[in-house]
Amino acid sequence: MKRYFRELSVVAALGAVLLGLAIFAPAFFQPQPLLSLVTREAPTLVVACGMALVIICRQIDISVGSMFSVCSVCAGLLAARGWPLALVLPAAAALGAILGAVNGILVAGLRLPSIVVTLATMVTLRQGLNLVRQGEFVNLPDSVQWFGLSQSAGQWALVVAALALLIALGVAMRHLAIGRFVYAVGTDAEAARLAGIRPQLVTFLVFVFIGVLTGLAAMMNIAQSPQVQPLSGMGLELKVIAAVVVGGVAISGGRGNLWGAFAGLLLLACVAPALTHLHIEAYWEKAIQGAIILLAVVADGVRSRKGGGNT
Amino acid sequence: MNATGKRDWNALLLRHEMLLLYVLVAEWLFFYFAGTTTNRRGVIVGFGTLDRQFDILRHSCEIGLLALALTPVILTAGIDLSVGSLLGLCAILFGKFWHDGGLSIPVAAALALGCGAIGGGLNAALITTLRLPPLIVTLGTYSLFRGLAEAITHGAITYTDFPESFLFLGQERWLGLPTQAWLFLGVAAAVWVLVHRTTFGRSIRAIGFSPEGARYAGLPVNRRLALVYVLAGLIAALAAIIYTARLGQAKADAGTGYELFAITAVVLGGTSIFGGAGSVHGTLLGVAAIAVLKNGLACLPVVMRMNAAEEMSGLLTGALLLLALTVSVLPKILPTLRPKRHAG
Amino acid sequence: MSPAPLLQLRRLVKNYGGVRALRGVDFDLHAGEVHALLGENGAGKSTLIKVVTGAHAPNEGTITIAGEPVSGLTPTSARALGIACIYQQPALFPDLTVAENIGLRLETASATRRVDWKARRERAATLLARIGAAISPDAEVRALSMPEQQLVEIACALGAGARIVIMDEPTASLTQKEQHLLFAVVRELSKSGVGVIYISHRLEEIFDLADRVTVLRDGESVGTHPVGAMNEASLIRLMVGREVAQIYPPSESAAGEVVLALRAVGCAASGVRDVTLEVRAGEILGLAGLVGAGRTELARVLFGLTPADAGDIMLNGRSIALRSPQDAVAHGIAYVPEDRRRHGVVLEMPIAHNMTMAIHRRLFIGAWLRFGAERSLALEFIRDLAVKCAGPDAPGGSLSGGNQQKVSLARWLATKPKLLILDEPTQGVDVGAKSEIHKIVRRLAKEGLGVILISSDLPEVIGMSDRIGVMGGGTLRAILPAKSDPHAVMAAALGTTEKGAA
Repeated sequence: MKRYFRELSVVAALGAVLLGLAIFAPAFFQPQPLLSLVTREAPTLVVACGMALVIICRQIDISVGSMFSVCSVCAGLLAARGWPLALVLPAAAALGAILGAVNGILVAGLRLPSIVVTLATMVTLRQGLNLVRQGEFVNLPDSVQWFGLSQSAGQWALVVAALALLIALGVAMRHLAIGRFVYAVGTDAEAARLAGIRPQLVTFLVFVFIGVLTGLAAMMNIAQSPQVQPLSGMGLELKVIAAVVVGGVAISGGRGNLWGAFAGLLLLACVAPALTHLHIEAYWEKAIQGAIILLAVVADGVRSRKGGGNT
Repeated sequence: MNATGKRDWNALLLRHEMLLLYVLVAEWLFFYFAGTTTNRRGVIVGFGTLDRQFDILRHSCEIGLLALALTPVILTAGIDLSVGSLLGLCAILFGKFWHDGGLSIPVAAALALGCGAIGGGLNAALITTLRLPPLIVTLGTYSLFRGLAEAITHGAITYTDFPESFLFLGQERWLGLPTQAWLFLGVAAAVWVLVHRTTFGRSIRAIGFSPEGARYAGLPVNRRLALVYVLAGLIAALAAIIYTARLGQAKADAGTGYELFAITAVVLGGTSIFGGAGSVHGTLLGVAAIAVLKNGLACLPVVMRMNAAEEMSGLLTGALLLLALTVSVLPKILPTLRPKRHAG
Repeated sequence: MSPAPLLQLRRLVKNYGGVRALRGVDFDLHAGEVHALLGENGAGKSTLIKVVTGAHAPNEGTITIAGEPVSGLTPTSARALGIACIYQQPALFPDLTVAENIGLRLETASATRRVDWKARRERAATLLARIGAAISPDAEVRALSMPEQQLVEIACALGAGARIVIMDEPTASLTQKEQHLLFAVVRELSKSGVGVIYISHRLEEIFDLADRVTVLRDGESVGTHPVGAMNEASLIRLMVGREVAQIYPPSESAAGEVVLALRAVGCAASGVRDVTLEVRAGEILGLAGLVGAGRTELARVLFGLTPADAGDIMLNGRSIALRSPQDAVAHGIAYVPEDRRRHGVVLEMPIAHNMTMAIHRRLFIGAWLRFGAERSLALEFIRDLAVKCAGPDAPGGSLSGGNQQKVSLARWLATKPKLLILDEPTQGVDVGAKSEIHKIVRRLAKEGLGVILISSDLPEVIGMSDRIGVMGGGTLRAILPAKSDPHAVMAAALGTTEKGAA
């Protein structure tokens, strides 16, 4: 129980917010708007899973927003050219993998700090996309929206897919050796090397993997509307990093899990609707999110200062 | 071998600054010839005009100030992602103090500067007292400061109608140069002196190279670090005032994404992201290289037709940053690659 | 014994820069044997371990494992060959559980395999039970004490089915009960055919446990003997060696006023307890002891790095508080640290900058750098201490160990201290620079400085000191007069009269 204290405290906070909403704004729980809310967050959840891996590995990737936009637009263009969804989906994932691999090579291969590398790739990708597309929207064929299903069926499909991915990854991180390698590298890369793990390879793969997940998330995003917005990924990086950090994944690596990140994401996702339902001006959303991040980081900082007295 | 490696690194920094200077000159000459045209009435327009050159200076003041603020931060091996957001917040507070608070411009400006220092102080407190990583702390305040700016303005209010005497600071010339350029140059000189001519600069380099080594030398590590972040906040607030004066309005999205350009300028200028090595004049060259690139592109006929100067310069800046980073680690990486191949 | 030894080292040489850590060591380990490795600090034991475990490659010499010559040993291949090492500071993953730590070490490196948590836990529980450790497999390693972490390491080695187990001072931080359990484990290991290399400073353990003993001195093996043929005195003689061959500058100073007086000083965080001593002006107080005796920890307390939480510190008769290095510097206490590459010198910065780093306030009035003054001060020290360098602008990292040490010393002499603490000032320093440093220290004492000299080099601490404090277990065990018998100092340091858990 103590081991999961951090995750449980997020779940408790989430419960409190939901309880507050149930009392003061029961309208929040109307099924259709709630399903829409959850569907909107499904792609974010997928990216957040990848971000959790990256942060557990003691790295960070702030280029996910730009990668998301690039993958969305490219997938949209392919779909508009008449490619079947069965091909567009792997194509989006492959593009994400390539973009992630670039980050991976720079971080793991050249040992550059991931924050600066991904800052650079973030702006390069974003501006490159703007340059090529000039902010133009991509109109999608009808077969793409909701994967050709009815709206509610499509929404359910997306939510189920995102949750299935979360569960698969969450289980893999716990029960597959490679998942434990990520923890080992994030905890202590040198000890990992001594235990026969190749830290640089694991780091590289983690960056490729978040690329793949971002590509998949982009597909889940374009399936929700008749058009692809080229700016759809703006600010995504911050949102997922916030979710992951709030969910108890330590920025110093090696600690935390996907379930916590999931709870963190739900908590942050509830802020905006809660504000509107509780008649607080929605402009406070970003400030509150920032405050929540700082609070989570400070809490972790205080805890680790109390816990490990080593140096 | 180690020793020569270290000496090479210092030599490389020097070479780096010279190289950057050549790049800057080449860049400038290129745009001078490719970006200057004569319009139908026979008047010279484009990059080569003095007006345009002043514009470049005018437009690079805010990012230049942020880059100056970030140079000491990065010299300590830290980072501050929140400066752009703090610029936005201070711009809004300045507008609010003046417009809603009924304060005079100088008082409002002083208060805004104070708020900047407080914002930087928040970063400093979290980083030094709780020993949290600067990256995540300033990522949090990046969101918090921008969010507060949006909350104060409800995302919609823009403060305008500033008095002419204030706009003079951002839009006119004084003694031949754009007015704010004098402020910028003053701050640049002050930061240069601070970093290169005082014990403060000496200490922060020691901290950047080896925080433990600095502690064992009896240097007040936490106080120095705190000062670096407070200073960054203060300069960000000054940039906010200049920004407001240039545009004649204060709004919540002021300075969005500026932190990136500022970091790029610093790293491009040869300051090591790992701390310790770097210079203020390198940063100034980096700022100039980015500013010339951005404005020069806007003068190229090809780019004008595409109407894509902003995107193009952003793309090139990002690519330039990646290139500069890669070049900066090569001396470190190359020696480690060789024995690795043997073992593998 | 068996025809081919498990491990055979021949003419092993390892150099670190200009320092020769191993100078042609021969060593054999047979199956089923506990082979003790003995030597003073810096005799080359750790280097030998690093070479055998593949962490460092030797410059010369051969390693033969079970009759097979091995080259290009890496940590991974060493592990595959059945070599396991239990370090003093366990290299575990602090954020992961005990079961997982053991699992990551023992399971194959296949990335796609399923992790069987139940099996992991069971194996961890079995292994821990075998060594009688009451540690839950689900405990996070960061929550364990140092001895508990060591037991986890031993469990790993057991589980790996290692043929060669190296134990580097495994009992340094164990309680009596844990020690006995450990001995039982070691005996069991050797009975099952494992060769154990056992490093310890506790002689009685060696007599209790080992079959043979090899003594290293100055990077050379000075002999391998059956333990039965030795006694404490003969072992100490081997370790200490010939009588002080080096000439130390004679003491010329008369001890003056008491500069520093400690009354029952302690610091719980760093394990220093109940230290009472005095240092007089013009006196060199040597501090002898073994690794982990608490000498560096005491120095860190006196320099404000880990402030004292018990007792009284008096400087020139006034009680003072040392909460930070800045306090210490302000009171005229200088500390030349042991790890000069990490703490003593900022390698990337020029010598001149390094030398003035502790006197910013005094030299640079108004915080304004005065390069001229800095340069002339640096030149003065370079001449005075005979620092061999390209000039005051050469980076600290470009110097040899001895010259780095002089730079570090110059930094603190520039503060004109009242009390100078030197922590292993000649470790890893070549002979010439060593005697120069000795002369400098002697001269400083003559000029009326109180000096605390921490050294693990027994001839040095005996030859240089006016009085010799011997530390162990975080406290002062004895104060011996100048020119004491090295065997007496060693005996006091080993605590042959007193046994205690640290």
